[in-house]
Amino acid sequence: MHIPDGFVDLPIAAATGVIAAAVVVGAVRKTGKDLGDRTVPLLGVTAAFIFAAQMLNFPVVAGTSGHFLGALLAAALLGPWAATLTLTVVLIAQALVMADGGVTALGANVTNMAVIAVFAGYGAFLLLKRLLPRTPTGYLVSVAVASWLSVVAAAAACAVELGLSGTVPLRTALATMVSVHMVIGIGEALITAAVVSAVLVARPDLVASFDLPRESIRRAGRKRMSGASRVWSYVAVVFVIAAALALFVSPFASSSPDGLESVAQAHGIDASQATPVWQFSPLGDYRLPGIESEGVSAALAGLIGTIALFALVIGAGRVLGRKRTESG
Amino acid sequence: MHAVDARAKIIGFIGFTVVVVTTPPRPGWAFVLYAVLLAFVAALARLSPAHLARRVLVVVPFVLMVAVFLPFFHRSGDVVFSLGRFEVTDEGLLVLWNAGAKALLGVVSMIVLTSTTTFSELVEGFERLRAPKVLVLTVSFMHRYGYLFLEESRRMQRAMASRNFRARWLGNVPTLGHMLGALFLRSYNRGERVYVAMVSRGYEGAIRLERGEPFRAADALFLGAVFAAVAAIRVSAWAWSA
Repeated sequence: MHIPDGFVDLPIAAATGVIAAAVVVGAVRKTGKDLGDRTVPLLGVTAAFIFAAQMLNFPVVAGTSGHFLGALLAAALLGPWAATLTLTVVLIAQALVMADGGVTALGANVTNMAVIAVFAGYGAFLLLKRLLPRTPTGYLVSVAVASWLSVVAAAAACAVELGLSGTVPLRTALATMVSVHMVIGIGEALITAAVVSAVLVARPDLVASFDLPRESIRRAGRKRMSGASRVWSYVAVVFVIAAALALFVSPFASSSPDGLESVAQAHGIDASQATPVWQFSPLGDYRLPGIESEGVSAALAGLIGTIALFALVIGAGRVLGRKRTESG
Repeated sequence: MHAVDARAKIIGFIGFTVVVVTTPPRPGWAFVLYAVLLAFVAALARLSPAHLARRVLVVVPFVLMVAVFLPFFHRSGDVVFSLGRFEVTDEGLLVLWNAGAKALLGVVSMIVLTSTTTFSELVEGFERLRAPKVLVLTVSFMHRYGYLFLEESRRMQRAMASRNFRARWLGNVPTLGHMLGALFLRSYNRGERVYVAMVSRGYEGAIRLERGEPFRAADALFLGAVFAAVAAIRVSAWAWSA
């Protein structure tokens, strides 16, 4: 997600530079007060760790790979302001030493990965912590989901900057960056949760954002997931991905007729000659009636369809499964 | 070149990148001239072309991979050529040239800077340029701990290889995560011992006092020459298009 020189135009580079500088200055002030003289070594360690971790690529799908971001990991361990500083230091080092990310694009990169990723993720983390049960599992789930969101938010911001600069058309940039990073975000969520839980077990004093009593970690123990709950976790993950794609990516889908429709139109077969029954379907042509905006209507129709399909398949599985055990 | 003051090099190379990025994509020869200037500076530094090429080749594929798709997104303008269904317009090529040339020049500029300046020289240079202390200190600690992590992660990679573990699919990722957690803990423990040792020897979080060498005439000459050349290219590009 590191933007090279020349990919964002001057107004965007300048604007994001100002935002980044302002937030970093604020972060410097805040961390000096909170962490005192342990600040620098702690930030240095985490920065080195994230720098190293970002060099690891993990496979995503079909030969593509993503890499770890670490914004929410830093925030979970150090709090959001220190995390901003950590990520900023990592990005500066990457731009100068590894030539990864342009020096003139530092404003944009810092804004995306050190500011937006950290604060959007941390905000989601706080919200989720409040909604979920106050157990170590609830905490880790909040960490995982918030890390996923931090990656997606950063990708969206990056796409907006590329789009507004004219480098890539905005719709294309958003659709591709967001959808790809929704999958990369899964890796981020899993890695962040795993690292935080490993640190939590050994050195809970290093995890600043963990506010539950320490004994709860020992009580949670290490239970192996049963086969059934593993299947349900898989279902849950797939559902979240499908719903996210339906909600956020489908509005950008092309409205041109697909292969079959265009061939039909070319041969003079019009959709209006279709059987009248289909005109009564509530989500005709992937649109929810009664909503003005096409994008929102398509997104909601997609979400409803996804939920309906999952419910249908799960219900069918239950019914068919039961029949088999009854007869067997 | 290696002996030039780090501050002059930092300002010079970053300033070079900034001017390159602010140059409009046409006329294209401006960027060729920028590249020649960079090559001249690299030659002055007696950097071996093989070394430069190796470092450049590490980064360039990633930039090109992203850049190559750019023209296909821009449908407006006159079509220059088409590959089957995909058409490349002149506007698309311009975007590719703009982003690609600037990205490449920025990359090489940074590579020449870091090939002629050691890390500690760079950090000291930024410190003397009044960069925020927290950032400068964090970067130097990051560098210190960086070697720690490198060592620990090499050990882990050897352990992985000897147990025939490779990340093949997304399901392997939690294991990677646990390994990273262990890496973090081991390195942090070592780092904490280092920090405690430093504190017990009087480290108070204070930055070291300024002891660096003064800015010499040779450094000013270098900076002046670089800016003069860059300005000359920029102004002639502006004059040519006006």
